Amino acid sequence: MGTINGSIKLRLAHVGKRFDAAGRAATVAVDDFTLDVAQGEFLVIVGPSGCGKTTVLNMLAGLDRPSAGSVTLDGREITRPGPARGVMFQDYALFPWQNVRGNVGFGLKHGPAGAGLASDARARRVQDCIDLVGLNGAEDKYPHQLSGGMRQRVALARLMANEPEVLLMDEPLAALDAQTRLILQDELLRIWGQDRAQSSRRTVVFITHAIDEAVFLADRVAVMTTRPGRLKALIDVPLARPRNDATRASAEFQALSQHIWSLIRDEAYRATVT
Amino acid sequence: MSDAALRVMRGLSLPIALLIAWQAAGLAAHSVRMPLPTHVVAAAADLVRSGELPLAILQSLSRVFAGFAVASVIAIPLGLLMGSSRGVERNVDPLVESFRPIAAIAILPLAILWLGTGTAAAVMIVAYAAFFPIVINTVSGAKGVNSTLLRAASTMGLPRLRIIRTVVVPAALPAIGVGLRIGMGVAWTAIVAAELAVGAKAGGGGSGGIGQMMFVFYAYSIELNRIIVCMVAVGLVALALDALLRLALRLLMPWAR
Repeated sequence: MGTINGSIKLRLAHVGKRFDAAGRAATVAVDDFTLDVAQGEFLVIVGPSGCGKTTVLNMLAGLDRPSAGSVTLDGREITRPGPARGVMFQDYALFPWQNVRGNVGFGLKHGPAGAGLASDARARRVQDCIDLVGLNGAEDKYPHQLSGGMRQRVALARLMANEPEVLLMDEPLAALDAQTRLILQDELLRIWGQDRAQSSRRTVVFITHAIDEAVFLADRVAVMTTRPGRLKALIDVPLARPRNDATRASAEFQALSQHIWSLIRDEAYRATVT
Repeated sequence: MSDAALRVMRGLSLPIALLIAWQAAGLAAHSVRMPLPTHVVAAAADLVRSGELPLAILQSLSRVFAGFAVASVIAIPLGLLMGSSRGVERNVDPLVESFRPIAAIAILPLAILWLGTGTAAAVMIVAYAAFFPIVINTVSGAKGVNSTLLRAASTMGLPRLRIIRTVVVPAALPAIGVGLRIGMGVAWTAIVAAELAVGAKAGGGGSGGIGQMMFVFYAYSIELNRIIVCMVAVGLVALALDALLRLALRLLMPWAR
């Protein structure tokens, strides 16, 4: 099983989530799920579709409350969404009426993340984040004028602008084509700060169904099973950072991907026929 | 001739043919009850030159704008609340729906008895008429907001009311715009009807407006050509109002272009 390095940032303890539907049997989305995430760790949850991984992320975000167990950040119970935990969504969730600058600065302007920040400091941080994701020159464009890859860059810049302690990412690259995906994986690690010390990195929980993506990004991979969603295995990814194309080509990368695939192949297969 | 000019010509050919037919039929009928296009044009020139028609239109417009403003100020916030909160909707919607089938003109007796035959009664009727399309479209716009956008805003720590202002309002703006356009249309329809009816109550010395003017031409001086002028003016003003509103909405929503 995976090992934890450093202090615990997020803790899911015996978490269960049941969705009750009137007149029908309740759906158990997540059952007895226990997992600690260390400060500065990049943790990736993989599993076949419908395994409850998004439900786990929503509980970390505070968008859903667990039916059993507890979810904590720095030992404090998570009861609702808060700016300390930033979320990136699969379908970008950009505001169509705001241009790139407006989207990136949204949380600073309207949320607590910008409290006490003078407007020029705010504008500078917004510009820094736009530069960070490589979108300088596109500040005045509206989301519908951008490609999928650019939209997700905007979403990433918006996330970073709020300076959350924890980044929660719900299949943020799933809607992108294969090449854009590889590029954004590299970008994500660069922006996360993979060449920095773990203590100065942000804690990330990243959801994906793509195993190669999980192995490339993660310090540890949590493998989930379906219905009810349970933790099946926690796998260390000892690949050296910074990671790059050479990482993807390495035998170790291939072996880890194969191993994880072998853990979920049967269930993934079943998910395609039932 | 350019394609555009040709298209305009083709579009105008039927109306022109109808006008000619109308003129011919009117000349053949030899009746004072039969208005003629040529007489209508002359009457329009008279009414514009004397300033009567522009004044009446302005009087009606000022009532429409006042009533429309009252309706918007009530209907938009209420619609946003109804669309954002199941509880508010469950309580308010039956009330709105039970008043909606009551035509604006049907509350005229109450309006006159409470507020007299002046501007206040007219404004009340306009506000009543415009309220329903605005509130109903606002509710549907607020309910149709992409839920991921609401979740995104809440994960950034925004409180509920702030989310309504910064996410629900702009996301619902296209639907609110449709409500405003329909509301403006019925407001204009209602003011003409209301002024006609107020004219009947107040006699020749009412409070003006294009509907009142029509009433005078109908009940006192019996001038059919002038009544037709008023009808055409009502139609043209409605078109202009809608065009203005569409322009304003386009300017308000630069992202939708």
